[in-house]
Amino acid sequence: MTAKLNSPASFRIGNFSFSWKKFGRAVIPPLGAILIFLGLWEALSASGITLLPGPSSLFTDARTFELIRYPFYDRGGIDKGMFWQTWASLQRVGISYTLAAIVGISLGIAIGTTPFLFRALDPLFLFLRTVPPLAWVPISLAALNKNEPAALFVIFITAVWPILINTAVGVKQIPQDYINVAKVIQVSRQKYFFKILLPSALPYIFTGLRVAISLAWLAIIAAEIVMSGIVGIGFFIWEAYQNNYISEVILALVWIGAVGLLLDSMMGWLQNKITKG
Amino acid sequence: MTTVELVKIASAGKTFPLSGGKEYIALRGIDLDIRRGEFIALIGHSGCGKSTLLNMIAGLDLATEGTVELEGLTITKPGPDRIVVFQNYSLLPWLTVRENVALAVDEVLTEKTPKERREIVEHYIGVVGLTKEIEKYPNDMSGGMRQRVAIARALAVQPKLLLLDEPFGVLDALTRGNLQEQLVKICEDNQISALMVTHEVDEAVLMSDRIVMLTNGPESKVGRILDVDLPRPRKRLEAVKHPSYYQLRSEIIYFLNQQKQVKKMRSRKVQVVKGHGLEKINLELGFVPLTACAPMIVAKEKGFFSKHGLDEVSLVRESSWRGVVDGLTGGYIDAAAMPSGMPMWITLGGAGNQSVPIVTSLTLSRNGNAITLDKRFQQQGVKTLADFRDMIRSSPEKPHRMGVVHPCSMHNLLLRYWLASGGIDPDRELNLKQIPPAQMVVDLKGGTIDGFCVGDPWNLRAEMEGIGFTIARDIDIWDGHPGKVLGCRSDWAAAYPNSYIALTKAMLEACQYCADPNNAQEIRSILARKEYLGTSLEFIHLGGPKDIVPGAESVAHHVFAGPGVNRPSRTEHLWHMVEMARWGDVPFPRNWVEILEYVCSIGVFSTASRELGQTEVSYSRSEIKLVDGTVFNAEDPIQYLNNLEIKRDITMAEIPLPR
Repeated sequence: MTAKLNSPASFRIGNFSFSWKKFGRAVIPPLGAILIFLGLWEALSASGITLLPGPSSLFTDARTFELIRYPFYDRGGIDKGMFWQTWASLQRVGISYTLAAIVGISLGIAIGTTPFLFRALDPLFLFLRTVPPLAWVPISLAALNKNEPAALFVIFITAVWPILINTAVGVKQIPQDYINVAKVIQVSRQKYFFKILLPSALPYIFTGLRVAISLAWLAIIAAEIVMSGIVGIGFFIWEAYQNNYISEVILALVWIGAVGLLLDSMMGWLQNKITKG
Repeated sequence: MTTVELVKIASAGKTFPLSGGKEYIALRGIDLDIRRGEFIALIGHSGCGKSTLLNMIAGLDLATEGTVELEGLTITKPGPDRIVVFQNYSLLPWLTVRENVALAVDEVLTEKTPKERREIVEHYIGVVGLTKEIEKYPNDMSGGMRQRVAIARALAVQPKLLLLDEPFGVLDALTRGNLQEQLVKICEDNQISALMVTHEVDEAVLMSDRIVMLTNGPESKVGRILDVDLPRPRKRLEAVKHPSYYQLRSEIIYFLNQQKQVKKMRSRKVQVVKGHGLEKINLELGFVPLTACAPMIVAKEKGFFSKHGLDEVSLVRESSWRGVVDGLTGGYIDAAAMPSGMPMWITLGGAGNQSVPIVTSLTLSRNGNAITLDKRFQQQGVKTLADFRDMIRSSPEKPHRMGVVHPCSMHNLLLRYWLASGGIDPDRELNLKQIPPAQMVVDLKGGTIDGFCVGDPWNLRAEMEGIGFTIARDIDIWDGHPGKVLGCRSDWAAAYPNSYIALTKAMLEACQYCADPNNAQEIRSILARKEYLGTSLEFIHLGGPKDIVPGAESVAHHVFAGPGVNRPSRTEHLWHMVEMARWGDVPFPRNWVEILEYVCSIGVFSTASRELGQTEVSYSRSEIKLVDGTVFNAEDPIQYLNNLEIKRDITMAEIPLPR
């Protein structure tokens, strides 16, 4: 007991338990991999084999370091800190993703429950969903004429397919048992929808939503890069590249990756929470 | 709406379309009524359409022909008056126990107030004993508990009919047993009718009032319906002691095995193989594992069949005489060793009210039976038939049961004759039960029967194990009575006349081989083998003067050959005919002389013995002398029947014979 108090191998605070052993196993390998990766990168750029600045340039480059230090500055126009750039992109994703979820889930249920609609629309959807996000950019620009709605449309059209298709599959694959139960006790349509159909398809719907959030975040960067003059992390990258501020591009990549990871784990958490409960 | 029948199914069928324009007929010509408050079990092999029939009643899958009616109205869709309990519970995992039950109750019992509905939900969850688990989710519960929730959900909507589709199929044995008892009790208490699909024989016997057995598909139909007469409430441990229990159980198992065999027979194309101047040399011969069937086994093992040109004979072992009857009438076996009364019994329509003429050319064995009573009667001083009668009459309140093998077997006829000779009416004062031979000793030990009449080794065994004692031997009742005979269909005999003679020759030689005491040891060890009797050597005795078991009254005393032993005797077959008519098993035929001529193939026997060069085989058989001193008069059987005191209502009928 006394020996353990001096150098605790593990401790508990409420429900949270911590053990050095577990922590070591979970953290040390990825940390090591990252350090080796960064080291290699640094060595490559220092040796001059590649013109890409090393990771250290994030701190050595004065402009970039400024961006790291002040993520919240706002000098008007498109000259804003990293946080505001990311936030603007996130807002677009939020709007379009919500729209995609509403359209995807309702259309998915419609298709999944009506065989006629499924037969009619399935080939069209299979065709459309294979079109990559970037290919939608010129079409949406041509159709909508303005940058902002065009960007929203590209995100929407990218995110809607996985939601729609997964929902349709989930609804179609509702176990025969549940259908039989509903038939035998003659459940009303409304109750069938909310008490049986929707809960049964929920795991599928959430898989679709989780795939869609990653795709939406991918699409926003693609959409913004080609749309000049808007606040957003995509356009920020493009402009930094045009001005040859490569270390700023690297910094933006770090932000994008972090936000993507965060979005995905949020959806994962939500999925667990809802489908388990 | 006060009809007794809740559900009426009349010539209903179900056809499924297959790809390529073909169709599969799953069910055809189903007739079944479900009475109010009745519990019916539906049993059959997998794929026989049990669940299809259940779904037809549920309305989940409609009949393609015939009618399925509930209280006079054709069933066209599912409804809450017929709730299905599925094998895999079908609970909604995102709802709690209460919510699962409430979903159904709120939907169906709309005329009740929310408070009443809430009480109903809680009541039925209480009925299945899950009040503590009411707020739990199904995934946090065991399989048995989940099935109880499903049952509660079904009961809570107060259906007229409960449809159970293998409800206990996936549960462990202990949970299953408890749940079976609970369910039966709930159905009784609430006057609910139920139809349960199952493949568990014991489950069906323990739970139901009637057991409906379906034949194998395609075109499955109702094969048999059994009434379960076990008293309720049934406790597993008490029910299994009831004498009907094993009888019902073996009926079902027999039916299921028969179905399996029919399937096998159907798939096998039997071709007639000719050879050696015989019309058919590939024979399938039926037998039941008994010492008296020794000649057939010996003929096979010692090569008598091959000697007479029957190169491809295979023996079909049946566990009961029912199997032999069905095999012969269904044409699956060519001939069989059978009880001596069986050719007459089948010819007179004993098997399913349909006359199938059977002929016999050989008597295979004589004697070898005894009547055994429970040991405790001996301790009570019962030594003679008169003692037994007094004992029965002194305790009329106690039902007395005795076991016999088959209505047409000599055991049944001898036992009845013996009882009647002592003034005992075998049907009114006693209860004679049909029990398979191998079950007799077990039932005697369990006290479910008071005694039995059966062939050895079972009498000897009861004595050696100290369970029973022999009160009368067959040699006291009728010395030299026929035991087993060789029988085949008359149309078979007409189609393959030379094979029939060859078969008779082979069997006659085998009988003579069995009768030689020098061969006894060899034959005993052949019979003891697993594919034949499969029993210990000490219980197999062929008889003869040297074959004595110390301390046992009933010693085997089979007679396989000798003067006048093997020739089929019309007088004896007339005795069978008269006695079976006496007990109401078959009608007495007006054309009895013609039938006797037809059934006894005396010409075939004569030809066979002549070709074997055995002119010394005696033709005369001494008269039939019986225990009560009567000599059977073969001249006027109708007069004999009229003079009997103890008998049932005797019917007369003309039995048409094929020309």
